[in-house]
Amino acid sequence: MTRVVGHSLPRMDAPGKVTGTAVYAADFALPGMLYGGVLRSREPHARLLRIDPSRAARLPGVRAVITAADAADVRYGGSVKDEEVFARDRIRFAGQPLGAVAAVSPDAVATALAEIDVVCEPLPPVADVAAALAPGAPLVHEGWAGYTALPILHREGNVCNRARIVVGDVERGFEEADRIFEHRFTTRSVHQGYTEPRAAVAQWDSAGQVTVWSNTQLPFEVQSTLSEILQLPPSCVRIIVPGVGGGFGGKLRIGVEHFAALLARKTGRAVKVMTTCEDELTAAYARQPAIVELKTGVSCDGRILAREGRLWFDTGAFAGSGPGVASVATLMLAGPYRIPNLLLEGFAVYTNKTNFGSFRAPSGPQANFAVESQMDIIADALGIDPLELRLRNIVREGEEGPTGQVLAAVGLEECLRKVADAIGWANRRPGPGRGKGLACGWWTTSGGSSGVYVKVNPDGTVALNTGAAEIGTAALTGAAQVLAEDLGIELADIHVVSADTLATPYDFGAQGSRTAFAVGNACRAAVADLKTQIVTLAARQLGVEESVLTLSQGAVCVADGGPRVTLAELARASQASGGGLIAHGTFVAPPTPYDAKRVEGHVYPAFHSPSFHAHAVDLSVDEDTGEVSIHRYVVAQDVGFAMNPAYIEGQIEGGVAQGLGQALSEEIVYDNGRVLNANLTDYKMPTALDVPRIETILVQHPSLVGPFGAKGVGEPPNIEPPAAVANAVASAAGVRITSLPMTAEKIALARLEQKR
Amino acid sequence: MARTTLSLSINGECHELSVEPSRTLLEVLRTDLGLTGTKENCLDAECGVCTVLLDGVAVNACVLLAVRCRERSIVTIEGLAAGGELHPLQRAFIDHGAVQCGYCIPGMILAAKAYLDEDPSPSEDAVREALAGNLCRCTGYQKIAEAVLSAARAAR
Repeated sequence: MTRVVGHSLPRMDAPGKVTGTAVYAADFALPGMLYGGVLRSREPHARLLRIDPSRAARLPGVRAVITAADAADVRYGGSVKDEEVFARDRIRFAGQPLGAVAAVSPDAVATALAEIDVVCEPLPPVADVAAALAPGAPLVHEGWAGYTALPILHREGNVCNRARIVVGDVERGFEEADRIFEHRFTTRSVHQGYTEPRAAVAQWDSAGQVTVWSNTQLPFEVQSTLSEILQLPPSCVRIIVPGVGGGFGGKLRIGVEHFAALLARKTGRAVKVMTTCEDELTAAYARQPAIVELKTGVSCDGRILAREGRLWFDTGAFAGSGPGVASVATLMLAGPYRIPNLLLEGFAVYTNKTNFGSFRAPSGPQANFAVESQMDIIADALGIDPLELRLRNIVREGEEGPTGQVLAAVGLEECLRKVADAIGWANRRPGPGRGKGLACGWWTTSGGSSGVYVKVNPDGTVALNTGAAEIGTAALTGAAQVLAEDLGIELADIHVVSADTLATPYDFGAQGSRTAFAVGNACRAAVADLKTQIVTLAARQLGVEESVLTLSQGAVCVADGGPRVTLAELARASQASGGGLIAHGTFVAPPTPYDAKRVEGHVYPAFHSPSFHAHAVDLSVDEDTGEVSIHRYVVAQDVGFAMNPAYIEGQIEGGVAQGLGQALSEEIVYDNGRVLNANLTDYKMPTALDVPRIETILVQHPSLVGPFGAKGVGEPPNIEPPAAVANAVASAAGVRITSLPMTAEKIALARLEQKR
Repeated sequence: MARTTLSLSINGECHELSVEPSRTLLEVLRTDLGLTGTKENCLDAECGVCTVLLDGVAVNACVLLAVRCRERSIVTIEGLAAGGELHPLQRAFIDHGAVQCGYCIPGMILAAKAYLDEDPSPSEDAVREALAGNLCRCTGYQKIAEAVLSAARAAR
């Protein structure tokens, strides 16, 4: 029995959050601080001829106006270095930064921004993937071939990566198949919708070092990017993360830190920059729109024999996360299925839109919507129950994933059977206009390394010092539960210090469902070392052999009732004579072996400690309006080990809510490169009235690697909702919707079309 | 712009201020008084993170001019835990796992308080409707609704 892990203990940062005392980056302020704002292009594609800031610079209260001339001429980016701080001579999306202003108040900033003259020569925009891939299409980056990029990427013109998986012989597979199904699906861009805007406060010191307080999910990546932009060694760039008001992948890449840093350098004052709602919906890292084409060959008894799939992501004006997300997409196109012949390709394609990025399970919902919709279409065509069709094809323990990784701890069958039972699958069409649908999938627990320092305080409590940021998931509460469990203390005895690139150990960051997993394991490593230090010191203090000592309930003792010394006493003794009790624990996910011959251009060839999940939904479609009402929504997720069941339920409930937004109502609407709905009135995120109750079933097939068997939890619940809803809509209304979002209008029109 | 003097009652304390007539209550709270428990996001009365109580009614501070709050009583999240004791809603939000990133939570708790003051025995649907002006992107609202219902039950 565990004392601390596995229990739904309240998160450690909750009191500060409910009383308003928790400080988020958006709340952070320094005395005498200026406000900064960004001048953004109104044109989606143009030659930039001239920017004249002189009138703006003379306005009262304005302290600096900067443009590309004030930043080093460097291109940066993770996989392709194609991005610049401010446009220099070419504008590539409506919303692209052209300059920035620092002034004494937000009002003065807004006035100054409106007074900067921008002269440009508009060009026809490359509005979408089809336009970008058309013969003779203009190049979004004429100099693409000269950019520094990861050597494994397959780049060509407007395609900044083509990732590929090839298994067996897909043509022979199709020849052997009894039926071949070909479909096309499309999805639109959706925003992460974090309620805290991206924010940064920058301040330079007299030694030429800059400190930035920001709400990034990846302080160490932002440190690295900012050091490139500022042409400074990383040690001169310190990133500190106060509270983060949600991220969901949208706060991975550099956001406004560089604008704050450049304005602060120019003015010699602290400067705060915060995004507006319009900035967020036009110039952030929203989810990539996608086109998916799937060709699947099956035997008449429903075995999948071959699949050819292509997924094109609109990555926008810069590569950003695109090449990686296109890689992950190929694994998602295979689905959690055993398919002997595969040809799967993911493309990241430049267009004149914002640089779309990583949103919770990047590529997951787009690919799963296609794969799981097609599974139901196949099931209907073959006259096989959709659950049964899945059970005939899903991967099971010890089988291979698409790239040859050997799968372990596969809880998928249990997930499918449990959601089907819970939703009452036997009665799939309970009444007119009402139907049930299900979808399943798999996902990774991202790798990367984590370090922690664990220090015993003189009162016997323990400080956990981690480079990871708490973005709201309670991952650091989970890691602290691991620490408390292993050290024999209570969760309340732990204090967390986090995410300061100068002071905390390295962490790969709050991304990819990895934080509790990796930081938790780093805690376990630290405890192993710390226990040795504690027992050695205790043996000396008590004058006994180390081997007779045990550590529990905050003390080291020989036996019940025997001599004991508390952690507090040991910490004070060590402070007096040994520099204090402190341990450095590290963890890196072991590489997952795969068959390298099966992949090309692939930056993510295997899923580490994969999780498996199934969703089922029971809904009605209004006969006249096409509006969807959800009666029940059930999730069964294999979490490996439920570190803190309440917050895992919270992740699942929130992930499903976000997924239902993508399924039914959310879309950043573009018209030839311009966003038409850059406000929260017209960009429709679900409210408390729109989200149904979500029933969670936790399935636990322990990971061999995760702490206590845990797997990544945060991203998966966002994957299946669009597909599950599409399948239920088909069941309820008899129409198959192949594009997101499935608005009431779209469903109603499809029904009219069908009746015609 | 010419400033105007203003006396505001916030969490039972009187504040004498000199503000521009265009200044919003949100700017006064966050920038002038450092009460950053009231959050800032859309500035368009759509997301609800800036919710405060004005004479007991939940309002969006981002679109409310400070000068309109003369002679009226304002309660922010900082004013809810009287004497250091958590309000039952705050306690319930913690106990029910209703807090994730927490950025929407101050506004959510105040919107819930305004509603429960009117309707102490609400249904879940009524609670969800009362909170429909407050966006949360982390929780899916379920544990928030449970927390509010539980606080309501405890108060009866």
